Amino acid sequence: MPMSLTTFKRLCLALLAFLPALSGPVYAQSCEALRAAQGQDQISVHCGGAPSAVFDANGHLWVAFVHDEHVYVSRSDDEGATYSTPVRVNAEPEDAEFNGENRPKIVVSEDGTVMLSWTTKTSNQFTGEIRFSRSVDGGLSFESPRTINDDGLRTGHRFDSLFLTPSGKVYLTWIDKRDMEATLARNEAYPGAAIYYTVSTDMGATFMPNVRVSHNSCECCRIAVAPHGHDNVAILWRQIYDDHIRDHAIAVLSPDGVVSDLSRATVDDWYIDACPHHGPSMVSGAQEGQYHMSWFSAGNLHSGIHYARYDLASDSPADLIKVDGTPGAGHPSLALHKGTLYLVWKGFDGMATPLQMMQSRDDGRSWSEPQTLMTTDQGSDHPLLITSPRGVYLSWSSEEHGYVFQELSND
Amino acid sequence: MTRNSWRHAVLGSMLSLALVQSVQADNIQDFGPQTFGELKSQFGGKPFIVSLWSVDCAPCRVELDMLGKLKQADPEFPLVVISTDSIEKREEAADILQGYALDGVPTWMFADTFVERLRFSIDPMWYGELPRSYFFTPDHSFTAHSGILTAEKLAELFPY
Repeated sequence: MPMSLTTFKRLCLALLAFLPALSGPVYAQSCEALRAAQGQDQISVHCGGAPSAVFDANGHLWVAFVHDEHVYVSRSDDEGATYSTPVRVNAEPEDAEFNGENRPKIVVSEDGTVMLSWTTKTSNQFTGEIRFSRSVDGGLSFESPRTINDDGLRTGHRFDSLFLTPSGKVYLTWIDKRDMEATLARNEAYPGAAIYYTVSTDMGATFMPNVRVSHNSCECCRIAVAPHGHDNVAILWRQIYDDHIRDHAIAVLSPDGVVSDLSRATVDDWYIDACPHHGPSMVSGAQEGQYHMSWFSAGNLHSGIHYARYDLASDSPADLIKVDGTPGAGHPSLALHKGTLYLVWKGFDGMATPLQMMQSRDDGRSWSEPQTLMTTDQGSDHPLLITSPRGVYLSWSSEEHGYVFQELSND
Repeated sequence: MTRNSWRHAVLGSMLSLALVQSVQADNIQDFGPQTFGELKSQFGGKPFIVSLWSVDCAPCRVELDMLGKLKQADPEFPLVVISTDSIEKREEAADILQGYALDGVPTWMFADTFVERLRFSIDPMWYGELPRSYFFTPDHSFTAHSGILTAEKLAELFPY
């Protein structure tokens, strides 16, 4: 069914009208409108599955997404106004996962190496592999993807996170079931899965052997990563305590395979043998060892989206608040820019999904009232916040609005 | 025609087509915004159980295993099984259900990308965690349970 130009214009106007809280122009358009105008076989950030984004050192925006069993990368030199023709990363099709908790990740080093990771599903029995590819020619072409989990087992290796430290160390963390398999083989119980990681110190040319961070993680939530000094990272993940409680743990990982500061970061008392599919968000605070965390729980102590500032030195969360306890609220994303904390999450009011934001200018001690950035009454991805030295940006994909990349900071 | 109705018309015709094709292949039906209300009407005055699962949920398999055995022992057991995956994954879901002998009973899969609304239509108080089960009394007041449903728990929450 072709769409007339007038209808298309009306759609664009309707789209703009939906964005009262966002300043400046928004160039996104729905995949449906794009297909109506330009044909059904669109490979575009606006049609792609579960996009994620990063700025390189020169301020170019890189977006990765999945389309028809391929990961694609597209570049924008005008902060999301226009995008380059997407470049295919994996030449051979593979079942690259894309959903709220699983998406292709992308980082770009100072020397311009474009690196990606994703999870490829290998069966419907929760098995998958952690895949990695990179481009050393500025994103024109990509090396054949490699499997990063080094156990050679057909088991669960999923929910990857990719992180590049300021010093150029490339960290990959994921949820791994190799220890579960070994334990079950001995007829012993193994709650959940494990967290593993590896590091590359040569921009993804090679990775060190896989290292276990922790046994008994939850099986189905994304892992949050934030820098710890120049070379290390801190990670936050959903961990199983006392066999049945799924709260959060934090640990510091080093490039030589040392795990330290492992402790319980949230005590929500969520007693559940289930898949929340609801991972946390974390950014580094102003002081070394201080982390801003936002997470979801339906625990006996905390139910809803929460925020707290965790200090590794004291092993304790401070200024814990309930951000949104409405059922349907979820998937928070945090960012810190010039002393202002940004927290964005999805709500649901029974009819529509409002995208909510609140800010704190005092390290999470007090917060602004939530404001609605956008609303949709169709399907949408988790919102992500992307930072650059220039500002904080919303990265959000929805059926109605397409892929929105929009600055939120107004300083 | 408004944009939404245009969209729904197209989506609806696609889904009806998928449904027609699927009738021979499996017992999976579309779960849309109205489906839960319709299901409740079908069970008017009668108690029933709802089990929600997804192909990506490992604990759900434990529950499906128990429910499959229950259904085999008592084919008339009032059980509604709904997958929260997109119905585009129906082959995968059908494969899994077959493994638990649940392929012979009608089941449902989410058939609308606005999953938040579908979840809300089942229970506004549900956060989306899986497995999730509901126990409806004859007057359709209900109790909810999150996490693996064991046979013992089922007997406790569903004394019918």
